[in-house]
Amino acid sequence: MNALILSAVLGVIMMFSGVMLKQKSAVRNIAITGLFLLLVVNILEMSGMSFFRINTAGMMHFDRFSLLFNCIVFFSTFVYLLLSARDIEKTGNYYAEYFTLIFFILCGVILVSSFQSLLILFLGIEIISIPLYILTGSDKKNLKSNEASLKYFLLGAFSTGLMLMGIALIYGSVGSFSTAQINMTEKPGALMIAGMILLLFSMSFKVSAAPFHFWTPDVYDGAPTVFTSFMATIVKVAAFIAFIRLFGEAFGNLQPQWQIWIALITAATLFIGNITAVFQQSVKRMLAYSSIAQAGFMLLSLYAMNADAKEGLLLYSAAYSLATIGIFAVLIKMNDYTFDGFNGLAKYQPLLAATTTIFLLSLAGIPLTAGFISKFYMLKAAVATGRHLWLVIFAVLMAAVSVYYYFRVIQAMYFKEGQPGIITTSPVFKYTLVVLAALIIILGIFPNLLLNWYYF
Amino acid sequence: MQNALQIAWLIPLFPLLGFLINGLGRKHLSKSAIGVIGSGVILASFVMSIWVFLQVKDGNTHVADYFNFISVGDLSIPFAFQLDQLSSLFLLIITGVGFLIHVYSASYMHEEKTEHFGRYFSYLNLFVFSMLLLVMGGNYVIMFIGWEGVGLCSYLLIGYWFKKAEYNKAANKAFIMNRIGDLAFLIAIFWIIKKVGNVNYHDVFQFAGENKFSTADITGITLLLFVGATGKSAQIPLYTWLPDAMAGPTPVSALIHAATMVTAGIYMIARSNVLYSLSHTTMNIVAIVGLATALLAATIALKQNDIKKVLAYSTVSQLGFMFLALGTGAYVAAVFHVMTHAFFKALLFLGSGSVIHAMGGEQDIRNMGGLSKKLSVTYFTFLVGCIAIAGIPPFSGFFSKDAILLSAFEKSPVLYGIALFTALLTAFYMFRLLFITFSGKFRGTHEQEHHLHESPAAMTIPLIILAVLSIIGGFVGIPEALMHGGDKLSAFLSPVIKPHEGTPVSHSTEYGLMALSTVLVIAMIIAAWFKFRNYQRSEAAGFGKVLENKWYVDELYDKIIVNPLNKFGGFLNSFIEKFVIDGVVNGVGRIVNYSSRQLRLLQSGQVGSYIFLMVLSMLVVFVLQFFLRK
Repeated sequence: MNALILSAVLGVIMMFSGVMLKQKSAVRNIAITGLFLLLVVNILEMSGMSFFRINTAGMMHFDRFSLLFNCIVFFSTFVYLLLSARDIEKTGNYYAEYFTLIFFILCGVILVSSFQSLLILFLGIEIISIPLYILTGSDKKNLKSNEASLKYFLLGAFSTGLMLMGIALIYGSVGSFSTAQINMTEKPGALMIAGMILLLFSMSFKVSAAPFHFWTPDVYDGAPTVFTSFMATIVKVAAFIAFIRLFGEAFGNLQPQWQIWIALITAATLFIGNITAVFQQSVKRMLAYSSIAQAGFMLLSLYAMNADAKEGLLLYSAAYSLATIGIFAVLIKMNDYTFDGFNGLAKYQPLLAATTTIFLLSLAGIPLTAGFISKFYMLKAAVATGRHLWLVIFAVLMAAVSVYYYFRVIQAMYFKEGQPGIITTSPVFKYTLVVLAALIIILGIFPNLLLNWYYF
Repeated sequence: MQNALQIAWLIPLFPLLGFLINGLGRKHLSKSAIGVIGSGVILASFVMSIWVFLQVKDGNTHVADYFNFISVGDLSIPFAFQLDQLSSLFLLIITGVGFLIHVYSASYMHEEKTEHFGRYFSYLNLFVFSMLLLVMGGNYVIMFIGWEGVGLCSYLLIGYWFKKAEYNKAANKAFIMNRIGDLAFLIAIFWIIKKVGNVNYHDVFQFAGENKFSTADITGITLLLFVGATGKSAQIPLYTWLPDAMAGPTPVSALIHAATMVTAGIYMIARSNVLYSLSHTTMNIVAIVGLATALLAATIALKQNDIKKVLAYSTVSQLGFMFLALGTGAYVAAVFHVMTHAFFKALLFLGSGSVIHAMGGEQDIRNMGGLSKKLSVTYFTFLVGCIAIAGIPPFSGFFSKDAILLSAFEKSPVLYGIALFTALLTAFYMFRLLFITFSGKFRGTHEQEHHLHESPAAMTIPLIILAVLSIIGGFVGIPEALMHGGDKLSAFLSPVIKPHEGTPVSHSTEYGLMALSTVLVIAMIIAAWFKFRNYQRSEAAGFGKVLENKWYVDELYDKIIVNPLNKFGGFLNSFIEKFVIDGVVNGVGRIVNYSSRQLRLLQSGQVGSYIFLMVLSMLVVFVLQFFLRK
């Protein structure tokens, strides 16, 4: 509750700061400080210090899982701002508003990570989505940005419709929005099942699972890269938390009904994400498909829905977000987004190349990185279900395919000749990248540093 | 005073430390420091070994269990050392002879660069360490570790002058030949584990003692162990590496041939004598292979002109004798011969090293001659070595060879006849070597003649010590026929090796055999004297040429094994690898690429088509969910 209120207040503060302050750096520093505060109050709440006692009437519940997840989100956003805040400013004239929207999106993230009622879920999803439509179109003079924004809005509206329809059907069947109530339904009728499947579709849309992923490459490619980074990481893992909470808490007892659909969606997502990424020529678009492929892996946690799956998803969120933020931060600095644009980067920017390599290795799931151990958790959780072993094998094969397109970047950086055009980077930027890379390796060796927070 | 057996782990630890210090410090230490450290650690081990030996002599044996080395399922393999009569005797040989060779090396290798000098000594120490591990191990696995270490070190030392491609080839040959034997050893260990569930000597021998092995099992295991032994101890068919191993520095040859490596196979079979005694088939094979090797190598040695090659083939031949002894059940005689052979073969190799040193690297005896005047110490010690190996009483070789011949006689007169013939050949080729090298006129270049000099004391003192040992070393095993209670070695080893059971021959027959062999050997020596005292260079022809070319065994191996394998490898590389494997791998890649190109087309950019595809999939799900699921 601390973080929810603070982030709403911070959003308002950012709005006014744009009007009152003339210096860009002041606005930026307020945003970064604000995020740091957000992280602090959230950690305080985790250790039992809640500043507000508000009766949510059972509509929200801040448990360990959601608070730890919020920590990961705030930390990722903090890193994201450290790396890319200057690039956010460059997108357009109304720079303060972008920070405002980011804080509002964080409000939505907090809602979807702790909802106990479908209303709050809906509210959270919309609070996340609407600012994103704006951010996608923030590069007003760029036609691609505008197109992406419109596409995103149209398809998003479609998915919102599906979600509302699903919620309505479930309310009609159960007479309540409460997840606990819904889960207690005995002998669910067709209405309930239909509602659940509609929610499955709309959530799949939000996490860009196949066959509801079509918006992802177009929107990620069209949006200003700095916001693609935000969408592909923080927003995506938030949607996953909502997804796993919804299907664990509201439809946990219906698992036999939806598990096979999740399995099929997982397989399709892994297949489309990985295979299509192979042929891409632009690193940005490849990362869009990679985000679909990674979503496929995260979907395994939904499929398994056990203790390992929840731990694994937390770990995966952190590993995936941090690595992807790092890669995007480097990508933003490049003049040329194609694979060839990375040629020879190792020679001119050895530090950027080395850290990017670690991020890519982590995404590919090479041991000693956080990406490996989180993939391991996912597969372990899926094996523990004892059913559909083919899915696990398929996931491993697809992870092997993913090595191809991630390593293409490494190959370009290290083994090809070229002179990459790159915008100069600040020392803070470099230090942050190094810390990020170190963090990924530390998490890869000691995943319990993160997971222990879940229990104590 | 602490019991020596409790701190016996120091024995292998010293050479290991020497290896580390010399290996890591080879660029920083001076040559003299390296020499002192390298030899000092072996001396320390030798002193410890004497202490252990004295304790064992008093009847204390000990199996020290240090920690659990491998623990898998029901199988647990301890890291254990076994200190008993057999291992303590080998410890003495390895560290004692090894120490002399180290001292000798410090002088012999003095012209090497400091860095290489350090490398040489570190390898030498590692070699001794491995060999100590091999004989001290309390189970077959620890023995195997030492066994492999010995193989590795022989590779490193034979290829010590790694800049010559030929030497590297010799090193590879030694290593690969040994690996063939190692594989058999390894399979034997697995077999033992399968049957006994354990590799500790104690448990395995107890299992065997209770007759729990089936005939097939025991024959299989012992044969495989024997194949392993033929690799390390250079027997038919795996002996060809040993003559080529002469590529290493001469003290290395001495170390390989006398103190370490080649005795490993003998040790292994003597250690496993309980198993071997259970299988007559294996015993017969061991005896026949040993005898055949002895004869084959002796004939080859008749015509070799490289001083070290003659010695190498004589080693192969002597090892054949030892296997003959093992095969006839005379384990003690084999161990006895290992010991005396260690003395005189180390002596002969170091002596040849002294000759080579004096001749400025020349190894061809046709270019020597008349060296006795200039190299008197070397000459006399070499002479002692030759007399010892020829087997003239009371030199050490006589007693051990006599024991072997006797056991062969007990088994069958045919074996005895061939063995005796081989012994006569031994005397002949050894004295041929001696006379061609040291008698007659000098046949080398003028420069070499000018250069001739006796080696420094660091080299001659080890020679003298070894010569003394070669003379008196046989007195530990005087046959009962000559002196009651003279066979101290059998008595000492009796707890480990059951006394030899055979039809005892009468003392009068025994005297007769001894006299016969002695007289014939002396006759051979005289024949050699007349033939070779004024040696003139001549080309071998006819049968001599076959012998000079070692019966063409290397060529035969190349034809029937090496070349076909190379061809097969070429086929795998050019066909299977290029077409089948690459084809599959690249094919998968192409399929992925192709699907990627096709799947990409789904992403049309049209919002309408996206929604259409989504609705379509939703419809499919609804239909399946509501109409087709139960």
